[in-house]
Amino acid sequence: MRVEMTMKKRATSALGETHVSVANVMATPNANVRFWIITMLLVLIGLATLKLR
Amino acid sequence: MLLALAQWLAEDVRTFSVFNYITLRALMAAMTSLLISFMVGPWMIRKLAAMKIGQSVRSDGPQTHLIKAGTPTMGGALILTSVAISTLLWADLHNAYVWVVLLTTLGVGAIGWVDDYRKVVHRNPDGLSAKAKMFWQSLIALAVGLFLLQHASLPAHTELIVPFFKHLVFPLGALGFIVLVYLVIVGTSNAVNLTDGLDGLAIMPTVMVASALAIFAYVAGHAGFSAYLGEPAIPGAGELAVFCAAIAGAGLAFLWFNAYPAEVFMGDVGALALGAALGTVAVIIRQELVLFIMGGVFVVEAVSVMLQVSWFKYTKKKYGTGKRILLMAPLHHHFEQKGWKETQVVVRFWIITMLLVLIGLATLKLR
Repeated sequence: MRVEMTMKKRATSALGETHVSVANVMATPNANVRFWIITMLLVLIGLATLKLR
Repeated sequence: MLLALAQWLAEDVRTFSVFNYITLRALMAAMTSLLISFMVGPWMIRKLAAMKIGQSVRSDGPQTHLIKAGTPTMGGALILTSVAISTLLWADLHNAYVWVVLLTTLGVGAIGWVDDYRKVVHRNPDGLSAKAKMFWQSLIALAVGLFLLQHASLPAHTELIVPFFKHLVFPLGALGFIVLVYLVIVGTSNAVNLTDGLDGLAIMPTVMVASALAIFAYVAGHAGFSAYLGEPAIPGAGELAVFCAAIAGAGLAFLWFNAYPAEVFMGDVGALALGAALGTVAVIIRQELVLFIMGGVFVVEAVSVMLQVSWFKYTKKKYGTGKRILLMAPLHHHFEQKGWKETQVVVRFWIITMLLVLIGLATLKLR
């Protein structure tokens, strides 16, 4: 009962988005690579601001 | 397609003339192919799994790979579809080079498709015979060579340009040029295919090399930049930046599903086609040797197989028993046999490619 109550108070299944992904049965390398891809896209968007204004 | 629409709209609303910029269209092409792959990917993987189009794993390969048997394959069709749609939407369709790279990529992709289809659907372990595969690849590569030779308007368009040296070029002549085009397209196509043996190993270097080639294509197509950097000016080649960006976008989205543990493999339909695409872009913009540097991982993988097979045959003929140079070929399996984890091999090969791409990009300025 105590555990259930504690779980209900959590916004995500673990702390840190990477741990959420891993806790949701995504393999660690898979989570790593997907976070790298997201970062690459964000960097590209950042670089695009050089030209797009 | 959208460029023509934007140019028509720009007659009334000047804002639409912004789509004349190759840089913007390249960015849009990357985003379009990325979104198409992201949206269609999960559906396609489910469809491939439902149709039982699963990869067969070589029995003489690493034992750790046996669990990969049955993973959906032919995901390269997703990449090719995204790249084709994106290129047709954002590139200038009056540009002959765009059609050359698009048709070459789809043509070689069709060869890979037939090979994969026979292997996984017809359960024919041989797929398309090596001779037939080589014949069709050669035919396409020679057609590209002849077309480029016909359209060469300057000596620089058929010369072999040596990176890092400002004035070192080798005139190849018609025959030499066609042989070079043939070797680059067929060689790159097969090298990428050989590299595609671990999750994410082939696609990420392809994305990196395609991104770098996009920069080279943009420079080659820009009279000012090419003159400033001492690169050969190839009028119209700038549009290839749109195509390369589409490959980069689709490749990144594919990596999302292909990262270890892979949900889908690209198969020959993807690997052969992407290799041919890189090779074709490189020969059009006269950067074959730079491709050789940037695609060093592909080169080493292909050479490792050639050396292993040649040495084995030679020693078998001479001593009666075949000897091996590597623990297993291609090279990535050798490192796995040495005890590296699959993800370690993949990420380390990515790091090497990153460095090689940086060296390749440095040739823009250092000559």
